[in-house]
Parts: sequence; structure tokens; C-alpha cells
Amino acid sequence: MTNHWIDIRNADCILIIGSNAAENHPISFKWVTAAMERPDNPAKLIHVDPRFSRTSSKADIFVRMRSGTDIAFMGGMINYLLKDMRLHPGNYNIEYVQQYTNVAYIVNSGIKLPGEDPAPGFFSGWADNKYAPATWKYADMASATAEAKLLTPNWEGWTNRGADDEAAWAELHDRCVLKLLWKQYRRYDEEKVSRITGVPVDNLREVYAEYAKTGARGKAGTIMYAMGATQHTYGTQNIRAYSIVQLLLANMGLAGGGINALRGTSNVQGSTDMGLLSHILPGYIKVPNDGDTDATLAGYLGRITPAPTLPPSELAADNPVNWWQHTPKYVASMLKAWWPGADPVVSYGYLPKGKASGVNYTHLGLIEAMGNGKIDGLWVWGQNPASGGPNSNGAREALGKLKWLVVSDVWMNETAEFWKRPGVDRGDIDTEVFVLPAAASFEKQGSVSNSGRWVQWRYRAVLPPGEAAPDLDIMSRLMKKIQELYEEEGGAYPDPILKLDWPYGDEVDPDLVAREINGYALETITVGARTYQAGELIDWFGDLQSNGKTSSGNWLFCNQYTTASAKDKADYPELITVVQKNAGTAAIESINKARKRNNMDTSLNEVGLYPNWSWCWPRNRRIIYNRASVDLNGAPWDADHPVLRWTGTGWDPAGDVIDGGGDPINVAADTKKNLPFIMNSEGVGKLWGYGLKDGPIPEAYEAWESPISNVMSPQQTDPAAFIGSFMNARGDAAQYPYVGTTYRCTEHWQTGIMTRNLPWLSEIVPEMYVELGEDLAGELRIRAGDRVRVSSARGSIECVAAVTRRFQGIRVDGQTIHHIGVLWHWGYSGRVRGDSGNILTPGIGDANTTIPEYKTFLCNVEKLTGKEAADV
Amino acid sequence: MSKGVLYDGNRCIGCRSCQVACKSWNRNPAEDTTNKGGYDNPPRLSATTFTTVRFREVDHNGKFHWAFAKTQCMHCLHPACEGACPVGALKRDKDTGAVVYDDGRCFGCRYCMVACPFGIPTFEWDDPLPWIRKCTFCSGRLDGGLEPACVTACPTGALQLGEREDLITEARARISASPDKYVDHVYGEKEAGGTSWLYILPVPFEEMGFPALGEEAPTENPHIAMRTLPYYAGGVVVLMAGFYWLTKRKQKLSHTGDKHGKKEGVAK
Repeated sequence: MTNHWIDIRNADCILIIGSNAAENHPISFKWVTAAMERPDNPAKLIHVDPRFSRTSSKADIFVRMRSGTDIAFMGGMINYLLKDMRLHPGNYNIEYVQQYTNVAYIVNSGIKLPGEDPAPGFFSGWADNKYAPATWKYADMASATAEAKLLTPNWEGWTNRGADDEAAWAELHDRCVLKLLWKQYRRYDEEKVSRITGVPVDNLREVYAEYAKTGARGKAGTIMYAMGATQHTYGTQNIRAYSIVQLLLANMGLAGGGINALRGTSNVQGSTDMGLLSHILPGYIKVPNDGDTDATLAGYLGRITPAPTLPPSELAADNPVNWWQHTPKYVASMLKAWWPGADPVVSYGYLPKGKASGVNYTHLGLIEAMGNGKIDGLWVWGQNPASGGPNSNGAREALGKLKWLVVSDVWMNETAEFWKRPGVDRGDIDTEVFVLPAAASFEKQGSVSNSGRWVQWRYRAVLPPGEAAPDLDIMSRLMKKIQELYEEEGGAYPDPILKLDWPYGDEVDPDLVAREINGYALETITVGARTYQAGELIDWFGDLQSNGKTSSGNWLFCNQYTTASAKDKADYPELITVVQKNAGTAAIESINKARKRNNMDTSLNEVGLYPNWSWCWPRNRRIIYNRASVDLNGAPWDADHPVLRWTGTGWDPAGDVIDGGGDPINVAADTKKNLPFIMNSEGVGKLWGYGLKDGPIPEAYEAWESPISNVMSPQQTDPAAFIGSFMNARGDAAQYPYVGTTYRCTEHWQTGIMTRNLPWLSEIVPEMYVELGEDLAGELRIRAGDRVRVSSARGSIECVAAVTRRFQGIRVDGQTIHHIGVLWHWGYSGRVRGDSGNILTPGIGDANTTIPEYKTFLCNVEKLTGKEAADV
Repeated sequence: MSKGVLYDGNRCIGCRSCQVACKSWNRNPAEDTTNKGGYDNPPRLSATTFTTVRFREVDHNGKFHWAFAKTQCMHCLHPACEGACPVGALKRDKDTGAVVYDDGRCFGCRYCMVACPFGIPTFEWDDPLPWIRKCTFCSGRLDGGLEPACVTACPTGALQLGEREDLITEARARISASPDKYVDHVYGEKEAGGTSWLYILPVPFEEMGFPALGEEAPTENPHIAMRTLPYYAGGVVVLMAGFYWLTKRKQKLSHTGDKHGKKEGVAK
């Protein structure tokens, strides 16, 4: 989330798309409800989904959209906005759009859009099955150029503005971002969007007009999304579409605005921050590869540290900030946290490197590699790939190709028991399986990061049962044993293992780990006015060094655990810990701010920042890109919900921690007029981008399995999508006529291992079920409670039918398309059992992230009769 | 003045945290349920399930609703069960409004079950020495200054504990603030002489299974409560025989293995 949970209450309009927040994030509805019940100005709630869910039941407007058509839906909204903004700029915050986004920037002369010939459906740069993004970049990457007409107050310089579309748009530079957006999204007219999405035109118009109201100064709209948005072959582009809308409507950085990803599991935010994903190291640093450029630390840093793009001279600001310019400090400090005795130039060589040839190391890539016999052993921590990933039959088969498998979990799960699953002969499986009992969350101490980036310390409530141990302890014992074996027997490359700093015992104190993550001064150093003693915790990531004199396991968390200020000591005496890094270094009173639990809202107008409840990254900034919440003089766009406020002499201390520091743009000295979007190398919000693998802006394609042909172009699917090959058959609409989509219910969790073992949850939702509409059920003579078989090209499952009016056939391009909703909480382990919906889902991934396309696939459903039904 | 709880169907998201919290606080075991193709589960109140959430798909005012309603003892101001109980085992606590029962006094006549206009009290059919069971308004928690377990667990404020009179004012205020979102009625304000639990809903109450009741309290006229007794007395013999048969059959079935065990047998 760019914002945070409580902040939802500040929104004027809440657009939930690709999320069933009421069921999957019930607590969020505390804040949605608060926004909707605001006495003076109640918020509107819009829910866009193929299924009418518990979220829809609370919505003012429900939009039934065909699964996987977000880009068409949002493309239609962008089209609506561009038209309306041109005709009625006074209804929008044009100053925000022109000063804080790349709306006027001129793009490279080689750019070609998918609506243009040749190769319709493709952007320029497609060759050898991938895109080269050179033509997507700005005409001048060092110092951007702009369409000056778009940088005049209220677009007054766009003199033809009131004219008809063609004449008005002809006046603008052909390759300025706004013009490119118009050329792209004028194709997404309401009739075409309706044909693709199945949403009636008046319903589209109603939603577009309602959400467009949040573009006015003083208004803010939020978009809440989750896996319904991301789990598509073009999931990343779905989010890009939301981002474009939020930037056009000046909703980024404001209280009640933002792009808010509702994370799918507890602490998935924290694990992503810490480098869980295969393409990033802790703190979202790109992983090195084995190519020539990355052979040295300098080469690697040169590749991953972006050069700034200066704004066009017509913009009021002149400094893109380009925060990632500090990458070398963060990488050096991370290497020093792990190998403090080695020069970073050397210890960089200790890092494992990915294949420059482009091997896919994501979940799907791993299962493929396992299935193809390329992996001997697998260690599974708190995961359940036998049910939790797509195409479960393939995943279970792939597990059988391993020599050994270690499963560390709270319960026995389908992965640990894959060798005795129904239908297999355990004699055919040679994999040796070890199970390590793990402690549950309340049986251990540590921090959990929520979707709003708050890092909240949790304490152990009870001891784990039997031999169960916290993950950290299991990992520490493993690491120490590996070091011992390397010590005794040597190895191919012992240095990374033996030189690794591992000051942890069999039982690890998570507080020590939090300190390592924050980072220390490794010797006495002075940074500006601040002098650190050797062994002192670093105040914040701005003080990290590239010369090896500081350590920090994750720069984003540098500020969580610091030397205690006088105020900390007065306000939180119980949280003060004396930290002494090593014998011989100073003992310093310090504070782990994640332990803070002060529920006083001291923010401006009590806008809900609660700055002293836990701590959040980066640097306790509760709303990121918050500089965009104020105008060029530092006055909040929304005076009722200020995030920051310039008092005339400084920033009001009750405001949020400002992004990038510095004074307001009109106050700051030349070269210090900071742009708000500091993590972008151009400093402005990207209506147009060049960093993704499948296009600079979103273009609509169909899912890998879809019942219709792409209406927008002859290119049926996202050309850059990841297509799995291991046991991954593709179905067609003739055999599998219905659109399947998977989701979770409130009562169960993920693969169900934590909930199907709990009697009170199992009694509420005891059996696997599939939801289908009354209309389809009528055609198939299926009644509620009947046993049915649902099948896809990958496999079939048997379960109970839940017949409902909440699913309905959708009229799309002249035909009726039925959706079927499948849960994936069941499996062959645990207290209550059943088939998993993931037996049906395809091993297909998003072009950028490889997140599987769980949300749209083809399937069939049949009623079971007689003996079959009784056997289920 | 006495306590009440206001249930707001526009705030409720049907998450059923209340159901689980109730089981947890009362240490009630889970029932062995099946999926009948809908969301309601367990299907009805029982000796081990004091509250459930009803889910109904309703057309109202030209709009499709998926409406929810929590069910439990309404804690009447003039409880019919109290009036019907020959031994004074059921009593309304004057301070809290909770209608509580005393196992020590109950001798199992089940008049309360017949008397209750909402059909709430249930009976431990499986137990050789059965008691009447129902929601207690978490009377012990109220005495200790806590909210009922379900109210504490509710994430959206759909359940709100307060003084009954204040809650009625609050309910009316919410209805008048959003007249298009509510049916203009506070259920429980007058029904059966008034109840401690009060409801406001986005759809008509009869759609959610709430009985249409007059304003007269059954205890004011015990014959209202008890006029079905002759039918009941005759029916109970047949009913009990039926339950005995069902219970025995269920026990027998549970010994012969369930469907999951059978399926798992493939791999064993």
C-alpha cells in the first residue's frame, strides 16, 4: 500500500477492483465502513468483480465484469478521463498532473502503439519473442523535453481545447505522453469496452463519472486491489492501468488516495521487503547475474543504479531526486552486514548470481525445473506447493522427481504427504521427506509487516509444543551445521559460508536480527553533523556509506532500531534497550520502534497517521509520495485531510515524514526543487513507463485460456507471458465452455492447512464447493447441494455445488459467458478434506512477475449422479 | 435502563467472527456439518451453537442484495420463556437485560422452547441428562465490564453494545441519515413487548426470517405463549421417538466410517 489501512477512512470514493476485501481483509471494512458513514460527506463504494461477493453487498455500485478484462475496463476509464479533462479542466487538478507526472514529456521518435500498423497488438521493439524497450523511452533521457502547451496553467495554452476531438488533439505534439495515451485509449470506447467486459454501457458511464469526481482538488479516491488484479498474464499491467488513473486524478500521495495492494497473507509484505522473491535482494535491490557486466561490484552497481532524467525546463521543479542513486551505499552496507570482515568488492563475489540467459527462478520456474529433473532437493518453509500453486497435479508429480524434500510447517500438509496422496503408489516415489515442526506466530517473537508497511513487533504468547521451533532457530541450527561441515570437510567455495557473520545461537534472539537489519556504524564515522561511535546503530538510510564503514541488512528498515533520543527515553522508558554490538564497543541506549504502541493520533487534523504506533518503512513515512499531497507552495491540496503542511518557515512537525526532504518547490533554491516521485529516476509519476516487459502502457489481451477472441487486436494473449510446459495442457472453449476463477472465503486460509485443522472453522465451511449461477445451474439441471465434477485441461475435481444468483451469465461480444467460482482451500491432508481448485488452474504466469493466472481459465462442470455422487 | 445490542445489517460483512467468538468463549464444540450448497452453517441453533449468521439473496427496491442477519436469543424485556418456566430456571437479569438460565433448577420440561416467539432455546438431545441451551448475552462478561464475545470480535461495528434506549436513538439516527439504505423499522423495539437485541436491516425483516410479531409481550398473557401446548404435548412423544431413532442412526453411522475416511482409504 502506498497509504495504510486506517487511511481508507479518508477516501471520498473507494474503488475495489480485483479484491474481495470484505471477505479476505475483513478488518479493512472497519475503515471502508467509517468512510461510507462519514456524516457530512459519505464515501461511495464501487466494487468491480465477476462475482457478487460480501464486498459487493456493501457497495453503492456493483459492476459485474468478465474475469480478466480489467485493462479494457480501466482503458475505458482513461478514455473517459482524457475527454472530460480536455473539456472540463476545472473539474480536475491539472496543476498536479502537469507538475507531478510525465504528462507532457516527449517520447522517443521510434514509438509505435498496438493500434498502429505494422504488427497490430504489439508496441514497437518486439523481436525474438521479447521487447527491447529503447523506443519506449523519452526522446531525451538526460533532460526531458515537453509539449509546452500542456504545461500552461489549466492548459490554457492548448488553444484548440474546446474543438472536436481530432482538431484539438492534432494541436499537441504527436509523441507527448498525453497524446500517446489518447491515441491508445480512444480505441477503448464505451461500446467496445462493453463488448469485451460485458458491462452495460450505462453502468460503465455511471462508474467512470463517479470515480472521476475524485479528480477535483480537495477530493481523493483510493483503489484497493488484491490477487484478482495481479493473477493474470497481464497482472502487472492491470496495476499500471490503476496507476495511470490515480495519477490523472491527482490521487497519489494524498490521504484517502493511493494504490493500495491488499497483501494476500500475513507478513507477505515483510517477506517481500526482505528479498523473498527471486529477482530481488533485501530492500528491492536487483539480484546480480553471471553476465559480463555484473562480473564486478562496480559493473553491477553501474547496471542497477539509475541515471536521473532532469525535468523539462518548463516544470517548476528541477530536481528528480532519483533516490535509487544511493544504491551503491545500500549494496555495500548489505554486504558488510553479512560479511563484515571482507571488502565489499570481494564479498560481492560471495553473492549467488542468477543466469544472465534468463532462467526463471519463480515458483512456476522452480516447479518446471523440478518436473524436468533439474533439482535434487527442496526446502519448503511455511508453504504448500502441492496445493498452493497452479496445476497441482503437475506440482505433485514434480515433487516426486526430488531426491529429498524438507517441509517446515505448523501442520502436516499436502506437500509433506504428497507421496501418499490418493491415486498414487508410494512405492513409485523415491523422494526422501523430512518434516520439521515449526512454531506458530504466537509461539515466537519477531516483527510482522502489514500491507500498510507497518512493522509491528509481536511477543511470544505461549511456548511451541513438543519439538516445534521458530523458523529462525531452525535456520540458525542449519546454518551452524553447514558452517561446521565446511570447516571440517572444505568445499568448492567455502568463503561465502565460512566468512558469513553468524552471531546467533541455537535459539536466536529476534531483537539481534532486527539490529543487524537496521545496521551499525562499523567504526567511528561522521556523516554531516552526526558522529557515530563504532557499534552504534545508524539513524536512517541517508547515513549509510558505500565505503564499507556501515552495515545494514536492509536499507529500507534502517531507522527501525536506533539510538534512543531524549524524547524516546522520556516517552517510552520501557522500550529502551542497551545495545552493545561487540565487547569493546560502546553500550548505547537504543529503541526498537516496532515495539511502540502509542495510539494517540498526533497527525495534522487527526488524519490517522498514528506516527507512534509501531514504525513503518521508509523512515516512518505513513503515506509514500506524500510530497504530491501539497502544491508548489507546500499547501495541502486537500485542506481537510492534510498529510504535510508548509508553515511559511518549515514543514509542520505534526505532518508526515516528507519524501525526499527539502522545502516546497516554490520556496527551495535552484537545483533543490524536489519532485515528489523520488523512486522514479525522473521524479514524476509515470503515466507512461519503459520498465516493464510487455509494454509502456497497458494494452488489453485475453487470458491464456479464454472463450472469445481478442476484440482489440489480432494478438490474442500477452506476448511476453510465461508459459509453463510441464504437464500444462491448454483447454479450448469447445470442450471447456465456462470461465473458472479461484478465490478464498473468509473462513479458510490459503491451502486450508491452518484452518481446516480448526474445528470451529471447519464446521462453518466443512466441504469443498464450487459456486455457479442459477442460470447455468438451470441449464445443467444442478441444484444447490448436488455433487458435481469440475474439470479443466489439467485435471478434474469433485465437490458440492453452491447455486447462487451472485454469479450470472455475462453477455460478451454476442454470446453468454458463465463463470464458475472455485476455492483452493482443500486437499488430502488435515481434519476436513477435499479436492483443491488448483488442480484446475494453469501453469501460466504474468509477463513481469510470473504470478500465475489463477483468475481466468476454462473449465467444464457436470452433475454427478448415482454411485459417483455417493463416492464423493 | 438495561443493556442492549444493536445489529446493523449494513455494517455486517457476514464474516462470522461472531460465530467463532461465541464458540470460543462458551467452549462449545464444533458440530459435524455438511455443505448443503449455501453459506448458512451450522444450519440451525443448537445446544452447542448459540449464534449463526443467516445469508439470503433478496431483491428489494430494484436492487439485488446479499443480506446477512445474526441470530441468537433476543433477550426479551418480558421473556416468554421466563413466564413459561414452571420452576423459575429462566430469569431476566434486571441490570443487564440478559435472560439467563439456572441448570440447577431446570428439570427438562422444554416449555420454554414452545413459548419462545423466536424459537431460540434448544435442548441437548444427545445428552442423557440434557439441559436447555441458548445465548446468555455473555452475562458473566457483562458483569465483569466486558462486551459480549461476539461484539468484541466484530470487525466493522455491526454489533454495538449500549444502553437499550440509546441504541434505539442511534438506530433511528442511522436510518434517517441513509433512508435509502435501510428499511424504516427497528426490529425489537416493540416486537413481543421489546427485546434487548435490536436490528436494523437493508431489506425487509420477513425476508431474513424474522417473525412478524405484535407489540404485546407474551408474558402479559401467558395463554399466548402456552396455547400451543396441547398440540406440543401430543407431538412431543412422536418427536422424541424420531430423535431417538435419528441419534442412534447417527451414532451408528459415525462408527462405520465417514466419507473422508473412505476416500483417504485409497492411499492407505
